[in-house]
Amino acid sequence: MHRKIRVLIAKPGLDGHDRGALVIAQGLRDAGMEVIYTGLRQTPKQIVRAALQEDVDAVGLSCLSGAHNVLFPEVLRLLREEKAEDIIVFGGGVIPGPDAVSLEEKGIRKIFTPGTPVKTVAAFVEQAVLESRGETEENALEPPQGVDHIGIAVRSIDEAMTFYADHLQLKAEAAVEVPEQGVKVAFIPLGNTKIELLEPLGEDSPVAKFIEKRGEGLHHVAFSTGGLEARLAQLKREGVTLLNESPVTGAGGYPIAFLHPKAANGTLVELCDPSAKGEGVKS
Amino acid sequence: MKTKESSYFRNWQEKTERQLEKRPERKETFHTSSRIPVERVYVPDHSDDQYKEQLGLPGEYPYTRGIRNTMYRGRHWTMRQYAGFGSAKETNRRFRYLLEQGQTGLSVAFDLPTQIGYDSDDAMSLGEVGKVGVAIDSLEDMEQLFEGISLERVSTSMTINAPASILLAMYMVVAEKQGVPVEKIQGTIQNDILKEYIARGTYIYPPAPSMRLITDIFSYCTENAPKFNTISISGYHIREAGANAVQELAFTLANAKAYVDAALAAGLDIDDFAPRLAFFFNGHNHFFEEVAKFRAARRMWAKIMKEEYGAKDPKSWQLRFHTQVAGSTLTAQQPDNNIVRVALQAMAAVLGGTQSLHTNAKDEALALPTEDSARIALRTQQIIANETGVADTVDPLGGSYYVESLTDEMEEEAAKYMKEIENRGGAVAAVDQQYMKQEIQRAAYDTQKRIENEDEVVVGVNRYQLDEEPEPELLEVDDTFVEDQLTAIKRLRSERDSDEVEKALAELKYHAEGSANLMPYIKEAVRAYATVGEISGVLRDVFGEYQG
Repeated sequence: MHRKIRVLIAKPGLDGHDRGALVIAQGLRDAGMEVIYTGLRQTPKQIVRAALQEDVDAVGLSCLSGAHNVLFPEVLRLLREEKAEDIIVFGGGVIPGPDAVSLEEKGIRKIFTPGTPVKTVAAFVEQAVLESRGETEENALEPPQGVDHIGIAVRSIDEAMTFYADHLQLKAEAAVEVPEQGVKVAFIPLGNTKIELLEPLGEDSPVAKFIEKRGEGLHHVAFSTGGLEARLAQLKREGVTLLNESPVTGAGGYPIAFLHPKAANGTLVELCDPSAKGEGVKS
Repeated sequence: MKTKESSYFRNWQEKTERQLEKRPERKETFHTSSRIPVERVYVPDHSDDQYKEQLGLPGEYPYTRGIRNTMYRGRHWTMRQYAGFGSAKETNRRFRYLLEQGQTGLSVAFDLPTQIGYDSDDAMSLGEVGKVGVAIDSLEDMEQLFEGISLERVSTSMTINAPASILLAMYMVVAEKQGVPVEKIQGTIQNDILKEYIARGTYIYPPAPSMRLITDIFSYCTENAPKFNTISISGYHIREAGANAVQELAFTLANAKAYVDAALAAGLDIDDFAPRLAFFFNGHNHFFEEVAKFRAARRMWAKIMKEEYGAKDPKSWQLRFHTQVAGSTLTAQQPDNNIVRVALQAMAAVLGGTQSLHTNAKDEALALPTEDSARIALRTQQIIANETGVADTVDPLGGSYYVESLTDEMEEEAAKYMKEIENRGGAVAAVDQQYMKQEIQRAAYDTQKRIENEDEVVVGVNRYQLDEEPEPELLEVDDTFVEDQLTAIKRLRSERDSDEVEKALAELKYHAEGSANLMPYIKEAVRAYATVGEISGVLRDVFGEYQG
């Protein structure tokens, strides 16, 4: 278990509007972080002192009075002076676009403007802190490395093979039945990826329903990725609808999970982790 | 028999319920922002003898339908756009522009250092000078602010709380210097410290001495400036901080009662000060609930003043209010949509019988308004007043089954909150216990969660988004004036008669430690060109500071 993420939410300057600061503080707490709120009217010096005393990973600055261009960079400067530039500083408030750009150039990691969902802020803080700690989740959030396979729904693997074997001279691996998912599958290796032919086992099989509705043809695309669980957790946090909330074992013997097609413009996306072959799926 | 209890109504309901199986409604249940359930349809509920008691004709107790017999058939509401930024000179130019465009009253926004009693050259003022309003350090700035504007003719609202006495004193001295007798000045100071502790954050001193400063103003103005509204008891900021409509109503009236109690305890007669109490509400999204809120507020206040406090003057019973539409509902996304939001919110305020109105500019979730966007905001009110016909009859929604029912419910729900506050020892004690603050925070977080779960739709934010937002044109406040402000205050300190300043400040300190009315001493200090920071500094020494 990693140390809980600690965040200081601060109100620099004289601004008394703390609705946003308080909502963010509560939202980060609900996301499992420890949050300290400074209260109103803090000077940059007080904020930096509190950040060091409380040993926080991140500082969130909220300002709606227009003083952000002066106060936010001053907090960064004082943190550098204290050799605490590893503390992630983010901000929000009534901040015009060009100001946000210039603050981010100066080292504020992210400016959130009105209307940002709290979970977006929570996801940002979590990722930024874990990255800066160099913890393993960082690897998990590498983008997918490649297309592991392309799934094609067919009524009969044998009949489909006439095209791949007779016309293209490709060879299929032995077909495997995956009763949990109601399919029989055969992989056809193809360069550094594979074609996966999916044949329904019985009428209730999801693949049977797919064929009934849309006919045979392209069924899904599978991306290979490491750290599947962390990736699913991140997608869930960010509001992507998952068909599998946690990994299941796929036909290839390694953990897989499907996302809802609406996440990718109607394309069914599978995420899988071939590097975890044989480890099974933690329940 | 009431319609609701008739078999005619019950049969209709059963029939409708049967239809739901085939054609369900958009939602299982409908609610107002205050979580009051909204029924499918409303039917007559008040009987004729209840009419007089609960609604009354316009201009008649309990004023549910309005405080004037003719309302906007006589005169439109005052169009009062809140403005101010940068230097006094620059704001003076914006004021003159707004007056030329047909605005009928002024409303001054002060910068945060002024609102919290710091001079522009104080270390605490770093980055804040002239940002959210005009920077006023001394009488000199105030003279520039109103240059060429006759204080005899214009009515001025000043959003100033903890240092209200100082800015009011400055306004009086400017009037005197213009040759306008103080008894003729018209306007309003916000002067509502309780909601600063609850929601807005520009407090300086602890509650007890703050309440004294307020009652000093009540008493001084009763004698010297009888046309000036001495307080604007504000639900606006309570709502902006996240409260729902019922909480806004209840907390505002509870605060109002605390001011009345304080003034009575200071020995004032209720009918001397109560007619000068004004209110300030938020014009929010839920159209009918807002109309109901304004109507319920009038009825509740009339009853409180007449029945609880035994006020005799009908003017003491009448709740007069300013409305500003809800800044917190403006979206940074697709800012043009805000024009529509503002128009609908403003319409609710007008149908609720507001005395004056500020309409927000479309770009205020992003920055201070540009001259263009400020003009559209004013035009929005002018269109409602002149083109829609809603101003041609009094209380056009009166008698709407729905609005009347909702008005009753707002009153009932708000009364529950007020009872709770009473049980806690009144608004001052409840502020001390952080009761309202916590209630508001909870409501704010619930709202945010409902938006994120899409239980509440915010157009352009969680639905109907654009992939790419065009970059809007925003006002850029020229920061170079800050240097001028700092030079000016330095020059002022060297040029003024420092003996006179010190004498006035010493006098003020002496009386602050005692119990005399402080207004005359603050006025003398102002006249000697003592600064807002210096005068507040003396009072800080004597009264201490509130720790939020």
